[in-house]
Amino acid sequence: MQATKEPRVEIGKAIDRIDGKLKVTGRAKYASEFAVEGVVYAQGINSTIAKGRITGIDAAEAEKQPGVIKVITHRNALPLATPDAERLKLDTKSIAPVLQSDRVNWYGEWIGVVVAETFEQAQYAARLVRFTYAKEDAKVDFAQDAGYVPEPKLDYARGDVDAGMAAADERVEVTYRTPVEHHHPMELHAVIAEWKGEELELHMSSQMVNDNNTGVADTFKIPKKNVRIIAPFIGGGFGSKLQAQEHVMLAAMAAKITGRPVQFTVSRQQMFTNTGLRQENLQRMRLGATRDGVLTALVHDTTSHTATNKEYQEPCGAASKMLYKVPNNKVTHRLVPINLPYPWAMRAPGEATGSYALECAMDELAWKLNMDPVEFRIKNDTQVDPSNDKPFSSRLMAECLRVGAQRFGWADRPREPRSRREGNWLVGYGVSVGSRQSPLQQSAARVRVMRDGRKLTATVQTDATDIGTGTYTILAQTAADYLGIPVEQVTVELGDSRFPISPGSGGSWGAASFTNGVRSACLKLREEVVAKAGKGAEDARPLAEIMDDADLAEHAAVATAKPTEAFKNHSVYSFGANFSEVWVDADTGMFKLKRILTVGAAGTILNPKTAYSQVLGGLVMGLGMTFTEQSHVEKQYGNFITRSLADYHVPVNLDLADVQVVYLPENDQIANPMGVKGIGELGICGVAGSLANAVFNATGKRMRDLPITPEKLLTTEVEPGLARR
Amino acid sequence: MRPYAYRRPTTADEALSTVGSNERARYLGGGTNLLDLMKEDVERPDTIVEVSELDYRSVTANDNGSYTIGGMLNNTDTANHPAIRQHYPLLTMTMLAAATEQIRNMATNAGNLLQRTRCPYFFETSMPCNKREPGSGCGARNGFNALHAIFGWSDACVATNPSDMNVALAAIGATVIVRQPGGGERRIPFGDFHRLPGDTPERDNTLEAGELITAIELDPPRFARHYYYAKVRERNSYAFALVSVAAGLELRDDGIIASAGLAMGGVAHKPWKLTAAEEYLRGKAPGPDVFEAAAERAMADAMPLEENEYKVEMGRRTIVRALTQAFERTA
Repeated sequence: MQATKEPRVEIGKAIDRIDGKLKVTGRAKYASEFAVEGVVYAQGINSTIAKGRITGIDAAEAEKQPGVIKVITHRNALPLATPDAERLKLDTKSIAPVLQSDRVNWYGEWIGVVVAETFEQAQYAARLVRFTYAKEDAKVDFAQDAGYVPEPKLDYARGDVDAGMAAADERVEVTYRTPVEHHHPMELHAVIAEWKGEELELHMSSQMVNDNNTGVADTFKIPKKNVRIIAPFIGGGFGSKLQAQEHVMLAAMAAKITGRPVQFTVSRQQMFTNTGLRQENLQRMRLGATRDGVLTALVHDTTSHTATNKEYQEPCGAASKMLYKVPNNKVTHRLVPINLPYPWAMRAPGEATGSYALECAMDELAWKLNMDPVEFRIKNDTQVDPSNDKPFSSRLMAECLRVGAQRFGWADRPREPRSRREGNWLVGYGVSVGSRQSPLQQSAARVRVMRDGRKLTATVQTDATDIGTGTYTILAQTAADYLGIPVEQVTVELGDSRFPISPGSGGSWGAASFTNGVRSACLKLREEVVAKAGKGAEDARPLAEIMDDADLAEHAAVATAKPTEAFKNHSVYSFGANFSEVWVDADTGMFKLKRILTVGAAGTILNPKTAYSQVLGGLVMGLGMTFTEQSHVEKQYGNFITRSLADYHVPVNLDLADVQVVYLPENDQIANPMGVKGIGELGICGVAGSLANAVFNATGKRMRDLPITPEKLLTTEVEPGLARR
Repeated sequence: MRPYAYRRPTTADEALSTVGSNERARYLGGGTNLLDLMKEDVERPDTIVEVSELDYRSVTANDNGSYTIGGMLNNTDTANHPAIRQHYPLLTMTMLAAATEQIRNMATNAGNLLQRTRCPYFFETSMPCNKREPGSGCGARNGFNALHAIFGWSDACVATNPSDMNVALAAIGATVIVRQPGGGERRIPFGDFHRLPGDTPERDNTLEAGELITAIELDPPRFARHYYYAKVRERNSYAFALVSVAAGLELRDDGIIASAGLAMGGVAHKPWKLTAAEEYLRGKAPGPDVFEAAAERAMADAMPLEENEYKVEMGRRTIVRALTQAFERTA
């Protein structure tokens, strides 16, 4: 590990969130809580068919209710931008046209909005608007379809996989299924839209202020500078708030039509149909290895669904290209358009689901080879990314596995599946590897320092968001260190499109990009102050003293951090290993997580407390993905019948256990000058694999269809190979 | 929510007269079910009559050794009441397996008896449901029915009763005490309180219009020593049962079963009392073979739907588990 010249005083400390007090006292303002003068309320109306056309709308009863200002449907909606393809390709800047035709693409699609003086009036009137339809046969199943290849292609190949499979001594050829899941951040999607002349002001729950700004401006075909987004606090997003979704446009449209500021909250039920979902994936895995555990081939074919009018592909094969050294490799993705709501990025898109398939298949192959699954993975480790031949900037995968195995007591694992019992419980251990790309995106910040004698205070501004992750805190720690002042003297202001542009929160790039942006601004500020004082760069005195010399009371600087050449010449990833002990009730199939340990290598850990919380959250989400979470589609009607958090089971406290998170020290200055890598998504990667592998070790059952419910455990047979050995 | 009138009478009789013959009036207890259903537009009352603070919130001992629990007492205070913990630990265990602490703090005992089904077709007003809208059809009969009944269903309705408390009451034995319009009182044996769906699934129970549950009289305690509630669900708390079993064993001094109380949840339109198994167990020496045989008898007439065959085996195993635990775990 190379020595760092970067300051490390506040950075690395497990300090409490600097915004914690605001949050627990209710003073942190979320989107719907801003007191905007004259605000009125919008209630969205959803389609109750999965495919067809709206043939009639009767709003008379709704319109005559007290307080009702306007009923808006496709018949009187404002014209918005039009997609340039049959299926709009979704990204974080996408337009989101809504109410533009009589066509219904899925059950629950927005078909209208009622604006009223109060929330209750809007909600009541929304139920009185009558729609009639010409219903068409909806397609909500895709398992039998080959699908099409979405552009740009995510497919990839190297070597000759058929030859690789032929050369193998042991093979695994299995299909894993993961269900539709929903993000369900605690804070509902919400927005207050207000037109101030030509300018549109949005208080919105947003992960990416700048990209959302683009999406809104392009949808309304207005200049980007005319849109202002304010998003100081966000109660979670998990990807669902990456783009300005249709309800944002509905609110802005309603505000324009009524001439009033409009508050629009998407209900929990509507968050099943109108804010994206993790698509169902069928992942066909083919792996082969020689007797001594060297991988000869790895094929990962994914089939999934997209909406009939919007396209998004979760890149399930991402990790299968780069995680292991295998000469023959193929990854494909196919999409089938069906009448379900549009899929969209959900925490570690592709990698969370793809790593379940990959890490279970690796476990299946290790078992066939009669090899320790830890050793099997280490045997196929690589320091060069085989998908692009670039060296990894740092990769401590094997170390994560070794340290984890040691701390977890992996050597004491039950060697044979279904061999250890505690009362009514079957006990199993599981392991998996997690990997997540750790990008650095261009990110700017403004830093202002104010001097009072020899005491400096500072304010940091960037349009970056804190979606519950701790952005406020790590940016205060960063500015404190690079300005040489205590963290208490730093104020951080976030989430306003008038602030310098950041990439926003998503893709595990937030912490690295934002902090390096703040670092750049601090360094530039010091440089400018030193120059003004007529000093040389070697002047190492505290900034306040130099400012005093120059008689400067305050100074501000803006700077932007960008990926370096070294970054571009490397593959930059975070790695981790997940060890779990799961107990399964031998009779009922209920699960008990006894303990889980994640050992991660994710560069500089800016704040171990907030970092722990993020990885803990990832583990919990991975636990939900494994055992409890799924959205059921009713095949006759094409709707989700899991329609509240009473039916959609996220894990509860009693599902959790002893959770330990350990970070290996890593100083990766190729990744970025501060050596920060992403952890927000690393926490979920591989978790389902580790837990499903533990279930196999406990029960002898390969659970290839998530979630692993009591019903499935009761009806799944013990692996036939078990009897053989 | 649709507009409604809110009334807050101070006596039961005033509550009864407030409701009168208004079929669109609803009594409000803790609101943990009714208010949810109103937000879903499933329940559309024009009048809400709040009864949760009426003076039926005590636990009282009766001369025959039985206890009466107030209809408006909340589930938390009922489950944790010293007399209930001492004499009816099966009820305590069962009630604490339900929902969450916050919901139990609000939910009343009378309201718990009246919980509506969690069938998704009942909750979604755009889909057919004979229970919500008689004559509209049953979406679940040939649709999604993995969570539905395996006993006593009809083509008109395959929904289940979602309550945990009801399962314990069926095992323990109880009488529902009801205040009638006009001032009379009616006693309904617990087994007759809930109904099977038949052709009228819109009726969950045998209450007549306007009647108000004021109390539940528990049968004299038999299972204070040997009891267990086994609840199989998709997460370890805050989930409705896939199947559940309340089991109580009354043992003679020589260890022979004097009587058994056994009921299942999550399998029928009403709490499903396992009478044949109870009778089989009487006079037997408790043990694995006897419990297995009791479970076989209990599940013999199961009629699974297309997607819930698993409940038969799960039910059988859960009965054995509950009986075994009841026998082995001595309070």
